[in-house]
Amino acid sequence: MGLSSTTNINESTQICVFDLKRGQHEGQELDKILFFYPADCPFSTQLSVIGLSEGLITFTRIFSPDDACEVIEAEKHSHVFFEAEPDIWMVMIIEKNKEAEAIWRIDALKKVLNELHSLFVMFHGSIRAILDKDPGGGLVRIHLYSFIMDYLSDFLLGKKLQLPSFRDSLKERGTIQMLTVGREAAIGVQSLVRVVESSCAGNTPCNSLVLFQDLLVSTTLPPDDTVNLFTYAVLRLAPRALSSATSTWSYLRKGTTASQVATDPIFENAGSGIQASRDTSPSRQGQRHHVPRPLQQGKWSKGKDGFLSTDIWGTQVDNLGSVTPTVWLQQTEERVYVCVYQQKHLTIILLVPVSSIVNGEQGISIVKQQFLENASLKILKVEEKLTRGWGGENAYHVAGYRYLLSDSDRNISRASPPGKVTTLTKDSLLALNKLREEVDLEKSRTKHDDLRCEKDLEVCIRARNNAWVIARVTRGKELYMVLEKADETLLYASDAVEKFSIRYCDGAFSLD
Amino acid sequence: MIGSTSSAQSSVGLSGSGALSHVYIQQPPLRCSISGSSGLFYDDGNRFLLSPTSDQVFVWKTSPLSPQASPSVDTIDEGPVLSIRYSLDEKVIAIQRSNHEIQFRNRETGQAFSQRCRSDSESILGFFWTDCSTCDVIFVKTSGLDLFSYEPQLKALRLVETKKINVSWYVYTHESRMVLLASGMQCKTFSGFQFSSGGIIRLPRFDMAMAKAEANTKPVLAEEDVHIVTIYGRIYCLQVDRVAMLLHLYRFYRDAVVRQCSLPIFSSKIAVSVIDNVLLVHQVEAKVVILYDIFSDSRAPISAPLPLLVRGMPRATASTRTIDKDAVHVETKELRNHEAVIYGEGWTFLVPDLICDAVHGNLWRIHLDLEAIASSSSEAPSVLEFLQRRKLEPIKAKLLCLATTRTLILERRPVAMVSRAIDVLVSSYSHSLKMGVSPHKRAVEGEKTSTSGHQHFDGSGTIADEAMSRVEKNGNSNKHAFVSEVEKESQQSMFEDTVNEPIDLTTGGCDISEQESQVASAAVSSDEMYNLVFSLIEEEMTGEPAYLVSIIVEYFRSAASEKLKVHPNLNVMTIQLLARSGRYAELGLFVIHKIFEPSKEVALQLLDSGRQNFQTRKLGMDMLRQLSLHHDYVLLLVQDGYYLEALRYARRNKVNSIRPSLFLESAYASNDSQHLAAVLRFLADFIPGFKNTSDHSSYCRFLNDMNSSIAA
Repeated sequence: MGLSSTTNINESTQICVFDLKRGQHEGQELDKILFFYPADCPFSTQLSVIGLSEGLITFTRIFSPDDACEVIEAEKHSHVFFEAEPDIWMVMIIEKNKEAEAIWRIDALKKVLNELHSLFVMFHGSIRAILDKDPGGGLVRIHLYSFIMDYLSDFLLGKKLQLPSFRDSLKERGTIQMLTVGREAAIGVQSLVRVVESSCAGNTPCNSLVLFQDLLVSTTLPPDDTVNLFTYAVLRLAPRALSSATSTWSYLRKGTTASQVATDPIFENAGSGIQASRDTSPSRQGQRHHVPRPLQQGKWSKGKDGFLSTDIWGTQVDNLGSVTPTVWLQQTEERVYVCVYQQKHLTIILLVPVSSIVNGEQGISIVKQQFLENASLKILKVEEKLTRGWGGENAYHVAGYRYLLSDSDRNISRASPPGKVTTLTKDSLLALNKLREEVDLEKSRTKHDDLRCEKDLEVCIRARNNAWVIARVTRGKELYMVLEKADETLLYASDAVEKFSIRYCDGAFSLD
Repeated sequence: MIGSTSSAQSSVGLSGSGALSHVYIQQPPLRCSISGSSGLFYDDGNRFLLSPTSDQVFVWKTSPLSPQASPSVDTIDEGPVLSIRYSLDEKVIAIQRSNHEIQFRNRETGQAFSQRCRSDSESILGFFWTDCSTCDVIFVKTSGLDLFSYEPQLKALRLVETKKINVSWYVYTHESRMVLLASGMQCKTFSGFQFSSGGIIRLPRFDMAMAKAEANTKPVLAEEDVHIVTIYGRIYCLQVDRVAMLLHLYRFYRDAVVRQCSLPIFSSKIAVSVIDNVLLVHQVEAKVVILYDIFSDSRAPISAPLPLLVRGMPRATASTRTIDKDAVHVETKELRNHEAVIYGEGWTFLVPDLICDAVHGNLWRIHLDLEAIASSSSEAPSVLEFLQRRKLEPIKAKLLCLATTRTLILERRPVAMVSRAIDVLVSSYSHSLKMGVSPHKRAVEGEKTSTSGHQHFDGSGTIADEAMSRVEKNGNSNKHAFVSEVEKESQQSMFEDTVNEPIDLTTGGCDISEQESQVASAAVSSDEMYNLVFSLIEEEMTGEPAYLVSIIVEYFRSAASEKLKVHPNLNVMTIQLLARSGRYAELGLFVIHKIFEPSKEVALQLLDSGRQNFQTRKLGMDMLRQLSLHHDYVLLLVQDGYYLEALRYARRNKVNSIRPSLFLESAYASNDSQHLAAVLRFLADFIPGFKNTSDHSSYCRFLNDMNSSIAA
């Protein structure tokens, strides 16, 4: 077995994906494991992690068959459970370490797993589907390995994974950040959207997303699909992602894993290691299937025609260009081509159903041509208009407030700009982190009690350094804020919320 | 004299009825043949058609033109009549008796006097009355112009001013207040004056273009080849160049005369009319008419040359009527045949839109067939632009616009084209709104426009037009002086914005521009856009909501760019369309970005459409709250089971209009005794007298039952 001997004992984080349906016989336990991070972890450790997890899941299912174990808090570690698909679990084990600022909010970590899985499904389809196609598991392991390693590369700081900690309490993963636009600009965007979506011949129902910088301007997809595509766009397609992919700074910071995966020593190891135990030829598995790595960094670039292209999905047979990527939409349950057009700060993602394009790449190039003919002028105008109205990085900063506003119905959130959040003291952030955990708990409780009814919730905490830490939940909307150097009366805190609510939330939090 | 033009052409009649055409004349005509008449005269200052006999003159008003109208009669002295015009106040009749004498006769008193030329070497070519402030009547003589003021007390004319110019012949229209004096060997050198209430403006001398037929022959420009027309309040001169077979269009500016374009002609005899600011070039020999809209930059004709149609031709001679009234005997028996002949020998075209058959004594007004013009072009946006500019039949133009727009959408024409069409309608409406608020708005009777219209030359050049900008450079100083001279009222014509060309219309008159700003207009309002376009086509478009939504978005865009509101029901319709096709994501964006103006209708529709999509429903709730529709909001909260929130909200916003039992029922239904107790306590605390109601007692009993059952 080509297992690497350089096991990183210091690795504080472990992530694994396993299938409870597999390896149910003695001696075949390794079969369960679909992914393990770090890959060079000894099988014995892997098996013990998964064994513990499986045991807990089985045990808790006795009491709660539908919603088994969510988290185990051990003395030194937290185990975060996420059932990505029926019987397919993702578990993240993190070390608790107060000194190293290793203070986590479980829900935030779970969102990481959730996001990872959602993106995976968007590009590759469900894990179960791949397993059904290739019951040996080789295919899914290769897919998961490359995908998760690419995903984690964004969290890598040096050689260490930097997962969302208490410092990220004023952020909400898995949500969309919207650009606020005026009515006229919004109509202009909608008009553009119609034109863009009419690029496909006939009455093919296309979909589209429009982003300005890293903010969403328009979508015609339902919330879940929108979140996935938006997340991907911000990670890899938006102007900032494109430029950082080429900048040296990002090379230093992020280049390590990219190159690590690219040079593939561990990749081979992981494949062969697990494959070998199942007596299948590892290398052939890897070669037979070209595994696209959508999250690979620095692979997208802007072409002369304004469309972004990548060779992630390979190149066309006759070398005419790269293969247009496709993704899987949850809503319509179909595969769609992804055409990405960029005009300065404006990114337009056009999604064309695969089924509507008869002649593959040729058909797509016709769509693109139509797109350019119909929409070019409008795109210029919209881009110009949005740029004129754009308030810059700190556009959504509200003086005196550090806030997070999220709408769970629409998966939208807005928060103080990161640069402003860093001015908060560690104590305030810790208090907020704690408060958010409480609210998470309360929310999951009400979810269990009554699926229909959403409860109102209001908490104000006086934290150290004269800070107010406030949470408000009402009918699907959540507001968290930290007011530092604030007056000591509760009235002050509630007034501050009220003002904010009226000014920025259309009075959504001014119910009483 | 009308009918003096003798054309040798044979009267091969084209029966107009049934033929495809864009302009028509309506039968019956005004019949004005008088026995013993010495001819027909047109007094364009008053728009009278005059038919003098030996001692009387018969007068028909041509504006409005009514075939049934009977003439009024004035007595005049016997003698030859070369020309006859009523003064603008209609008190004096002026008759040119010879080349040297014009007689003035007061209609009331019958007193008359004559004005003669001073020397025999000069002769009078003609005369006209003017509303210029310094003079009343102007003689055009071979030696120039004599400007007189009319002095009724002195029974004489007082010479105000003389302008010495050699004149071969002249052209004048009261509409333009402009006289063009031809001189030179070829009669192609022109001097011009405009006599308006704002003062007298002298045009720079200019030459008209004349192509040479051969090296040594120089054609002479004839009087009938020069026409002054007024289009969109701008004054033009049209000149036929028979050699080049071109019709040159000149535009008058205060400091320049600029040739704008040359239109091809297909007949050496050309007549022009202007109807509703559309230029009609009658190709008399070819018996067709070509229409131009000299507004847009394009000088292409509106449509192909087509004959003039005679409408309402009687089928049988049995329908002959005879009108016998006093001395007026209108011969109608031998109508028919000659009336079916278009461009007959005796046809004369009167300014701006009349045709007089001097041989048979008939007078028609020319009409545009908007319907035919609209259906002749497939380029909808330009058709709409054309229709929106029509003022004579605004209702018809509007209906045609609406029908055209509906057809465009129903035929699923490309969104870009429909969008341009909508832009035309919206900007035209927006413009009419801006004009409508001007202080000059008032109802104007049709006739008034003709009698008191004043136009100066344009004070400035077309910015868009290169030729114009050249002129501007040349005559800058001059121009500024002029502008300050003229009282420039801010009467703006509809066209000003679009052409960047102010038209100077001085105080004295109310004319085209004011007529335009009056109530009747082809502009389509937001309400009409909804009621007569979108709501009518919605049913037929159910199969393709996406297309219709695209069109509506374009309309929103267009309206927003003109700062116009859309009809609230259009928002409701759009919500329905989006919800029906399951496009809730967009629906949300439309609400969040306030593309739909928040209103109760919109909120209720969101709630209704939100039955399949709770996010949409919440948007409806939020909108109710934002609109401070507290009662509805609280009711919905209770309905959704948020009775505690509802109570708090009701207390905060002082909503007293909701029955307490609603809260109680909802709390009881939740089967939570604590909540029910809380609601009871709340109501008891905040509603005076609640404790004495039956609700209180019965729900207290329910609460006890609940508690005891728990205890048990």
